Amino acid sequence: MKQIITIVLISVSLLSFSQPPVKVDTATNLLGIYEKLDEYVPNDVMFTTEDGELVNFKSLIDKPTVLTLVYFTCPGICSPLLDGIADVISKTDLELGKDFQVLTVSFNEKETYQLAKSKKKNYVAQVKKPIDESEWLWMVGDSTNIARLTQSVGYQFMREGDDFVHAAAIMVLSPEGKVTRYLYGTYFLPFDLKMALVEAQQGKSGPTINKILNYCFSYDPEGKKYVFNITKVAGTIIIVLAVALLIFLIFNKKRRVHPANQS
Amino acid sequence: MTAIPQSGTYINFFEVKRGFMSWLVTADHKRIALLYFYAIMGFFIVAFGLGLVMRLELIAPGATILDPQTYNEVFTLHGVIMIFLFIIPGIPAIFGNFALPMLIGAPDVAFPKLNLISWYLYVLGGLLALSTLLFGDGPADTGWTFYAPYSVKTGTNVTVAVLAAFVLGFSSILTGLNFIVTMHQMRAPGMTWFKMPLFPWALYATAWIQVLATPIIGITLLMIVAERTLGLGLFDPALGGDPVLYQHLFWIYSHPAVYIMALPAMGIVSETIPVFVKKSIFGYKVIVYSSLAIAFIGYFVWGHHMFTSGMSGPARVIFSVLTFLVAIPSAIKVFNWVATLYKGAIDIKVPLLYALAFIFQFAIGGLTGLVVGALATDIHVHDTYFVVGHFHYVMFGGTGFAFFGALHFYYPKIWGRMYNLKWANIAFVIFFIGFNLVYFPMLVLGMMGMPRRYYDYLPEFTLPNLISTIGSWVLAIGLVIMIVNLINGRKGPKASTNPWQSVTLDWTHTQSPPTLYNFDETPQVERGPYDYRNYEQYLKEHNKN
Repeated sequence: MKQIITIVLISVSLLSFSQPPVKVDTATNLLGIYEKLDEYVPNDVMFTTEDGELVNFKSLIDKPTVLTLVYFTCPGICSPLLDGIADVISKTDLELGKDFQVLTVSFNEKETYQLAKSKKKNYVAQVKKPIDESEWLWMVGDSTNIARLTQSVGYQFMREGDDFVHAAAIMVLSPEGKVTRYLYGTYFLPFDLKMALVEAQQGKSGPTINKILNYCFSYDPEGKKYVFNITKVAGTIIIVLAVALLIFLIFNKKRRVHPANQS
Repeated sequence: MTAIPQSGTYINFFEVKRGFMSWLVTADHKRIALLYFYAIMGFFIVAFGLGLVMRLELIAPGATILDPQTYNEVFTLHGVIMIFLFIIPGIPAIFGNFALPMLIGAPDVAFPKLNLISWYLYVLGGLLALSTLLFGDGPADTGWTFYAPYSVKTGTNVTVAVLAAFVLGFSSILTGLNFIVTMHQMRAPGMTWFKMPLFPWALYATAWIQVLATPIIGITLLMIVAERTLGLGLFDPALGGDPVLYQHLFWIYSHPAVYIMALPAMGIVSETIPVFVKKSIFGYKVIVYSSLAIAFIGYFVWGHHMFTSGMSGPARVIFSVLTFLVAIPSAIKVFNWVATLYKGAIDIKVPLLYALAFIFQFAIGGLTGLVVGALATDIHVHDTYFVVGHFHYVMFGGTGFAFFGALHFYYPKIWGRMYNLKWANIAFVIFFIGFNLVYFPMLVLGMMGMPRRYYDYLPEFTLPNLISTIGSWVLAIGLVIMIVNLINGRKGPKASTNPWQSVTLDWTHTQSPPTLYNFDETPQVERGPYDYRNYEQYLKEHNKN
């Protein structure tokens, strides 16, 4: 009977774990990527291309489009992301210009189209096959247009001094400007991109499971020491206890006698 | 009640007490092992079914039977159940619990009640994991890794899913502690550490990993809960946290967990081979040391899961080198098993077939693992089907096959009956062919560049996917034949106490099925565990009837 009571008590106490989890209000904590599949980019956002030409963003989209949101002076993850784009353009058997295009937009309103042009030169040079450079457009814009575009695709970032905290991913748009796919990270498999572009051509959207967000963030090791302290303290306790157990077991020669053998 | 043989009959552990309640409050390690067995097999069959559904979806390009979101949920659930509820606890909780005390000449584990609590925690954790399906905002959509900060922000059921992992972790820690103390304090007189059989050794190495690594997932859970409820900013960059810290903590637990999955399986193989070769295992001590080495080095290789998460060049190289190092003790074991077979009197019986299949498939899994663990090639195959093929070769082709091998090996000991050997052979052959038909094409698909984790694929990948799906049906047919044969075996002919002619204590000094406390009197150990010199004479003297 005692055993049953023990078991019931343990079960009840553990069931308290299954209480409804706390809801997180994401609206107050916006950063990262909040997928907006099947939604359209706005009709009237304007950006300046690397040649200084003011264009309507939506009017550029007439084929499956890879949208990359970066800022050109980013000290972190944007360069690997753009390397990843150049790499996947080289590797995919789809043809830039014919089958798809790439639009790279800076979300730093202070950046200029001249800077876009010089950056573009670097990355286009990394593509290991001849491409039509005009199909990889680089753009800058003002804060209102940037905000409207980034919000329409669910891309949330935050300014921190001269830099930004932001995530790394690319969005794939259908020829009608509909968001059909998100590919996360800075490295993209050619077939993953191909699949996403083929689906975009058909206007089909697909959710993704691989939501491993890569972030570019400034990290303050001084201010965040307590995080490491938690792990260090816990780790030390575990190891001390384990070593104590081992020492006890090695030096305690008394053998455990089972009730069956006592009689 | 003691079970003393009386005039040729005895009371076995099934008969000591009867009734449903007697099982729910039992402290007998053998009954607890069977409680685990039924629970784990239940979860396995559910997850196996989910796997079949996924393969069916992938029979042809485009959505066939599942919509994309459902496919994501099905595959997350398949992974979570298979890893946390089948592969990790499978061999230690069932066959470790059942055989360990008998292998070392003990009447039970050191803490029998704690053992029962571990089982309840396991069931509770399993139910919590499954409850995420039914309540709240739907199953976790993070994949089985629950990567932060996504897991901090997304669907609330992540909390429950991580809690489930926490409760299961506790179960794992308690079982590990129990085994460690049992092996230190309850070995039979004369059984020195180096006279202990290799399955207990494997469990010993595993238990230390469980005790040392599992708390980390607990601490990580507390940090996620703190993040979600108090907004401490531990992982969320919006609050100044470090999302990469989560990945480190997760893999510091989860990579050693891979060895929690693999080591007991290796122990089973080491236990099986000498019995069917009637020869001492080659390099006993080396196998022991390699188990300990795997457990130790396994702690230092977690970084290879994060090659593409932004890591400095030197760190990548170091983790890559360490990953190669951990392959060495595994390779030593494979070499020793093969060397044991050399010039042995090989008696091909079903448990040996599973052990041989383990060696073959584990070798493929291990070698493809080097491709994944090596820095240069990982970048190429990362996130492709090659990775899926690789870990199924290790986990299913290795541990899964060892699990079913152990089941066939201990079956006559557990139930005292023998299944139909012919049908067991047929089931094995179909199972083996099916397995390779499912997973080998995945390695090819990965090399071709097919991305993993997606319900759809390009037309050029159709043929290997079709073969793989057909393979899944063959695999399922093999499994069904095996299960039916094993169920029918319960009514099969009575098995002799030691049908495999093994010389370890569990077979020579106990009845089949064993009595409540296993041994009539505490055995005295004089011989090594795999000493097959004059074994026929030895068995004649010691075998129970």
